[in-house]
Amino acid sequence: MGREVSESCVDSLLTELVSTYSTRFYANKPDLAAHSIEAIGYQVGLQLSERYTMDRPRFSDHLEAIKFICKDFWSELFKKQIDNLKTNHRGTFVLQDSRFRWLSRVSIDPSENGDVSEDNPAGVAENKASLVTKMHLNFPCGIIRGALSNLGIPCAVSADISNLPACSFVVRIKV
Amino acid sequence: MADPANTPLGQMLLDEITPVVMVLGTPLVEEACLKNGINFVQMLSPFCAFNNIDVPVRTASDQPYRLQKFKLRLFYASDIRQPNLEVARERLKQLIIQAGEKDLSELSSDPPPTNYEHNGSESENLPSWFQFFNKELVRSASFSDHEAFDHPVACLLVVSSKDEQPINQFVDLFNNNKLPSLLNDGAMDPKILKHYLLVHDNQDGSTEKSARILTEMRSTFGSDCQLLCINSSEDGLVEHHDDPWALYKSDASPGQNVGCFLNVDDLNEMKDIMQDLSTKHIIPYMEQKIRVLNQQVSATRKGFRNQIKNLWWRKGKDEVADLSNGPMYTFSSIESQIRALGDYAFMLRDYELALSNYRLISTDYKLDKAWKRYAGVQEMTGLTYFMLDQSRKEAEYCMENAFNTYLKIGPSSQQNATRCGLWWVEMLKTRDQFKEAAMVYFRVCGEETLNSAVMLEQAAYCYLLSKPPMLHKYGFHLVLSGERYKKSDQIKHAIRTYKSAISVYKETRWSHIKDHVHFNIGQWYANLGRYDLAASHILEVLACSHQSKATQDIFLRHFLQIVQKTGKTFEVPKLQLPEINISFLKVIFEDHRTYASATAASVKESIWRSLEEDLVPSLSTARTNWLELHSRVLPTKYKESNVCVAGEAVRVDIEFKNPLQIPISVSGVSLICELFGSSDETKSDGNNLAGEFQNDDGSVETTSGEMSNKSSSFSLSKVDFSLEGGETIMVQLTVTPTIEGILQIIGVRWNLSGAVVGFHNFESNPIKKRSSEGRQRANRSGDNLKFVVIKSLPKVEGFIRPLPTSAYAGDVRQLVLELRNHSECAVKNLKMKVSHPRFLNIGSRESLNVEFPACLEKKRSEHNNVRHNPSNMSQPVFLFPEDTIIKGESPLLWPLWFRAAVPGNIFLYITIYYEIEDTSSAMRYRTLCMHYNLQVLPSLDISFQVSPCPSKLQEFLVQMDIINKTSTESFQVHQLSSVGEKWAISLRQPVNTDFPSQCLMAGQSLSCFFMLKDQRRSGTSEDKTSLSQQVGSVVGLGPQGTIESLFDTSSSPLADFHSRERMLEESSHQSDSTVDFILISRPLKSDPDSVLDVDIFSLLGCSIASTSPISWHVDGPRTLYHNFSSSFCEIRLSMTIYNSSNSIASVRINTVDSSGNLSESTSPQSATSSGNQVGWHDVSLVTDIKVTSDVLGTRSIKPPSLDSVSSFVWSAASSTRVQIKPMSMAKIPLQICAFSPGTYDLSNYMLHWNLLLPDGEVNLDEGTRQSAGTCQGYPYYLTVLQST
Amino acid sequence: MIVCVAVVGHQNNPLYIESFTDADDALKLHHIVHCSLDVVDEQVNNPKKSGPTLNETFLGLLYPTENYKVYGYFTNTKVKFILVTTDLDVRDTDVRNFFRRFHAAYVDAVSNPFHVPGKKITSKTFEKG
Repeated sequence: MGREVSESCVDSLLTELVSTYSTRFYANKPDLAAHSIEAIGYQVGLQLSERYTMDRPRFSDHLEAIKFICKDFWSELFKKQIDNLKTNHRGTFVLQDSRFRWLSRVSIDPSENGDVSEDNPAGVAENKASLVTKMHLNFPCGIIRGALSNLGIPCAVSADISNLPACSFVVRIKV
Repeated sequence: MADPANTPLGQMLLDEITPVVMVLGTPLVEEACLKNGINFVQMLSPFCAFNNIDVPVRTASDQPYRLQKFKLRLFYASDIRQPNLEVARERLKQLIIQAGEKDLSELSSDPPPTNYEHNGSESENLPSWFQFFNKELVRSASFSDHEAFDHPVACLLVVSSKDEQPINQFVDLFNNNKLPSLLNDGAMDPKILKHYLLVHDNQDGSTEKSARILTEMRSTFGSDCQLLCINSSEDGLVEHHDDPWALYKSDASPGQNVGCFLNVDDLNEMKDIMQDLSTKHIIPYMEQKIRVLNQQVSATRKGFRNQIKNLWWRKGKDEVADLSNGPMYTFSSIESQIRALGDYAFMLRDYELALSNYRLISTDYKLDKAWKRYAGVQEMTGLTYFMLDQSRKEAEYCMENAFNTYLKIGPSSQQNATRCGLWWVEMLKTRDQFKEAAMVYFRVCGEETLNSAVMLEQAAYCYLLSKPPMLHKYGFHLVLSGERYKKSDQIKHAIRTYKSAISVYKETRWSHIKDHVHFNIGQWYANLGRYDLAASHILEVLACSHQSKATQDIFLRHFLQIVQKTGKTFEVPKLQLPEINISFLKVIFEDHRTYASATAASVKESIWRSLEEDLVPSLSTARTNWLELHSRVLPTKYKESNVCVAGEAVRVDIEFKNPLQIPISVSGVSLICELFGSSDETKSDGNNLAGEFQNDDGSVETTSGEMSNKSSSFSLSKVDFSLEGGETIMVQLTVTPTIEGILQIIGVRWNLSGAVVGFHNFESNPIKKRSSEGRQRANRSGDNLKFVVIKSLPKVEGFIRPLPTSAYAGDVRQLVLELRNHSECAVKNLKMKVSHPRFLNIGSRESLNVEFPACLEKKRSEHNNVRHNPSNMSQPVFLFPEDTIIKGESPLLWPLWFRAAVPGNIFLYITIYYEIEDTSSAMRYRTLCMHYNLQVLPSLDISFQVSPCPSKLQEFLVQMDIINKTSTESFQVHQLSSVGEKWAISLRQPVNTDFPSQCLMAGQSLSCFFMLKDQRRSGTSEDKTSLSQQVGSVVGLGPQGTIESLFDTSSSPLADFHSRERMLEESSHQSDSTVDFILISRPLKSDPDSVLDVDIFSLLGCSIASTSPISWHVDGPRTLYHNFSSSFCEIRLSMTIYNSSNSIASVRINTVDSSGNLSESTSPQSATSSGNQVGWHDVSLVTDIKVTSDVLGTRSIKPPSLDSVSSFVWSAASSTRVQIKPMSMAKIPLQICAFSPGTYDLSNYMLHWNLLLPDGEVNLDEGTRQSAGTCQGYPYYLTVLQST
Repeated sequence: MIVCVAVVGHQNNPLYIESFTDADDALKLHHIVHCSLDVVDEQVNNPKKSGPTLNETFLGLLYPTENYKVYGYFTNTKVKFILVTTDLDVRDTDVRNFFRRFHAAYVDAVSNPFHVPGKKITSKTFEKG
């Protein structure tokens, strides 16, 4: 569609969203925060998919839908396609984005685990940072899930971060 | 696919397309048969179907095969003709009607839920009478002359043995003109097989006579004569367990025992005869005939030559053929013969032969445009294909072709079309093509509504049976057929179809359709007089918010009519009209905590708890001891539930919403409760209340009254209201238990426009409780609508008068708290806590009857004036005196002082704790919660600024700016007093000069200056105990008359309020050198003796100690006149510098003409003067806090009118240096020259000072104090005017 | 002219149905739309005889009733658009781009963040297709 939003706006919006939910609303219940963020993403994905699949033939099978997500949907969102798509043909798909836009600005501060001498707080800091990043990933997970389920494919989406700008989403289609 | 013969269609064909035997009988035969209640044909029919015969047959081409099953159809000759349409239709109608009667029985019960994946056969949900109906339809098309399988194959001549000369009877039976038209008009061959049967009735004596006749017959007619003896049983008491005639006697009179005279060997004889007839005569005859016909056909038609010739010949005779129905074919015509051949072959199951002949003839008929015959042949071709189970496409094509052709011909062959369609449908069904079948049904249904209704219904079932089931179409066709049924007033059927349609629409959201269906069912039930069912159905559509206003109106009106017809009121659980917003359900009850007002009840829970914390001895212990008190009184299982007091109402707020656009009237809304008396388990529950729910007038009093004389254990309130369209109202219902026990609120019930009683049970719904216990219990146990009713307790009601709803900031009023306790049981040691002590101050009992504000005025003798004791400041709970006891009708009055401290919306929460006299009661204590909110408007905005006085050390210059922020009110500034003996305040100028009118109009502002003197010995800072006993100095600002009537700010309540403020700000900062001002003003318009406006400020005075050791002031003329035309004006000033340090100070005065270049000196100066500034900033409690943060603190005093352009020069030396001895002062003359009239600010000079320490030794004691510094000059305003 | 348009959700729940006839045959139209769902289902489920091309969103003429023509449109997101029209010579292209506009409008309506899936409040302008 014609309208576009500046990327920085989206980035900061996402950051705010995450921080609001994970620190203000559900400060001590991270899973609840994650769930609600994911729900927001779900709604977004629902509506986006409604729009982006407007004039294209129906998908005959799941793989097509996933491909649509990887190619058109992703490039609508991030101006790039998913870099790598793997699947065992039993309803599990792994979407790898080598440079996920919404993580390209996120960086785990090396000093956080650099200057502290004993590794324990280092581990804690590292852990914390990665947790925060995971929080950020709940939103795109929700988007994917929303889009797919709107295409009639109920699924569960999870994400994990390999090394930072890269991340991969795992889609498990419920049968 | 199974053997076609076993499919439903196969069965149908096998007993519909079978040889017809024409029966000709004498009346005596009938008479003999009718003894059994059946006629001759009916008597024999059961024995015409042979399932296990084994007859060898040879096809035309001599292939032998065997027939296992065979069937004959017996018809009277009179019946062998086209049946009359009206008769047929009438019969069908009867059939449908009785079917309807039959299943009206299960109409009341809902239809079985149709499982949509319907694994079972279609018979599960298909009404059984469809087969009969279809069969009748098919029969109605029989005996058409265009098809031969209805033509009689044989003729059975029957003569009774009682007939005289039976032989002649036999002869003229056949010869007279009773023969059917088929034989006469040459449609078929009149020479058919004849079979002669002599019937002998055994009750007419022995059989030898008939035997004689038989031999005679044999001699006459040849071998095929037989004797049948019937009625062998003398007493007509033979019981046939499985009635063989069940299927065949349609019109037999019921009641009489069928076949009562036929015993077993009669039946056997019939069986033998019929079997003999069919096997030995009919089948061979047909076989024979097939051969003959086949030879003729093959002679004329087989082979290429014949084909060509035939074609050419037909072309030739094409012209002569009338195009209406093709030429008339006699039986002898080759076409008829081919057709007959085909039919015979079909009947003998020689399908190949039949098929070939049908194919052969169909083209001819087509060429001849003999459409009816063509259609018939096509039909048969299709059926033959089916029986051969080959080339389905072909079969269906043929059927469709036939069907269309029949339709093309027009109404004359409507019956045939229907029959053909039905067979076609059966064919499709057999092949599980239900969808197509449904479509065919749809096409079959003609303009005749009743038939089409049945057809549509069958179509609907086909849709249901199709895989995957097409439910939408199912429902749609059901509705259509229902419509048709309704048109041909078969209401029962209509209801049935609609009801099964409901199952489709039930869980969907197609509410438009749903409403239509339900509404129609309701109406039809009403027509049938089943009003209860009708109402229950229309109930479904009542809450139709999506419908149009008119429709809603119609629905509601019909519903009410129907309900009136029923004559009784319905009780509907979960009636949707009006809707109850259960999430807004709110239960208010009073256990320990009682509420003074409804608003107090809706205050947030935590506030009361926080207030109660230090009132109630300790909540936990209190609870435990009332719990264990209960555990004695009550069964332990109720320990958890809430407590309410007998005689005190439990209130429930429920929100009702009208979903419709039309107004509805709801009456008699009340709670459903049950109360188990703790003593006896008398259970008075909802349904003995139901009795008086019927009467619509219910006000609280009457209800409770009649409840009480019904000796019920609680009383309910009733509310009537009427809701406009879409309106929502909140209703408060109360239940008041009168005896102790367990009260359970079950639900709410209401009466919709006098017709329907709706229930709604609360149980399943989560309810937010308005009580601490409830709140805790809501998550613990579900029964938070269960109350333990304890015996009645005293309950204190209280209110404050006259608490204003809005006040101006700083208003001080005198209020009275009034507490009442209606019960005789007294309550004692009361405690009270106020949420905002700044606003509400508890007075003392003496000050109850003093007049206000005169009581505040200064008295010479202060003995009766209440000294405020800081004790009631320190601890937040006010303890009423020990002897205060409230009982009976005497209220307790207690004075309160109110002061609107801060503008804004103020919520005052007051909790009063009291204990019940008799300890036997279940509760020891209760609390009364009062809640008021008032609006405080900003009145006077007052700000102070204190600057150290230039000249004298211990004096400060105080500027007070007052702005009247109100819109209308005008205040009269009355007095300003400084609190504490440390300070003495005095006016700079007399009031009148700068404050001519004592009242300050709205929006007006005023600033006046005071001199504040520090009275204490300088240096030694003094502990704040001086604050505790308050003596202050007062400056009267009012008009002269009121000067002496000053208010005593050191007496209660002003002192209390003041010390509140003090306590408030102690937290913010601590310093000893603060000065507090109390400004008292009184509004003019509102009567002054009720309201007094007191503004309390406490300012931090500047700490003298930290300022520079050098202080100076400039004096000289303030205003002078000069004639600038003559010369410029010289003004002499003198500066007095005082050195407060104990060492010699050398001071240099720099005068700068342009106020620009002070830059080099700013940094040290800022250092000092910041030290100067840090002391004082405005902490006034009035809204805006004016912190003058600029370094040159003096600049903010500058009136805006002045222009500080330095149009003057310092005419003295630009820099003078003086040495000042310790603790001494020096005078320095200054002189400026002004060149134009104006007001000059002579502050653009600065003093550089440094302390010359004697011979450089460092003084340790004052190490902190800086030894040099720079001071910016003080403002000194000089106004020079042009002299005339 | 167009008699009725409808939007039907993915479990055949009516999201929006609007009839443009002055006569009150809303019920009949509801029924027609409701029935057409079956045709949609079968066309989608066994696409052997489904619309002009395989898996196209536009399903073409669902079925002609006695005096209506019912067209169907089936989006990726299992939302069905039904169009009931009376004029019997409608070019497919017209219907096509009507559906496209209709779908666009629907998408806009759905993308409204305050839209809850369910009964759909639309402020759309329909024009003759």
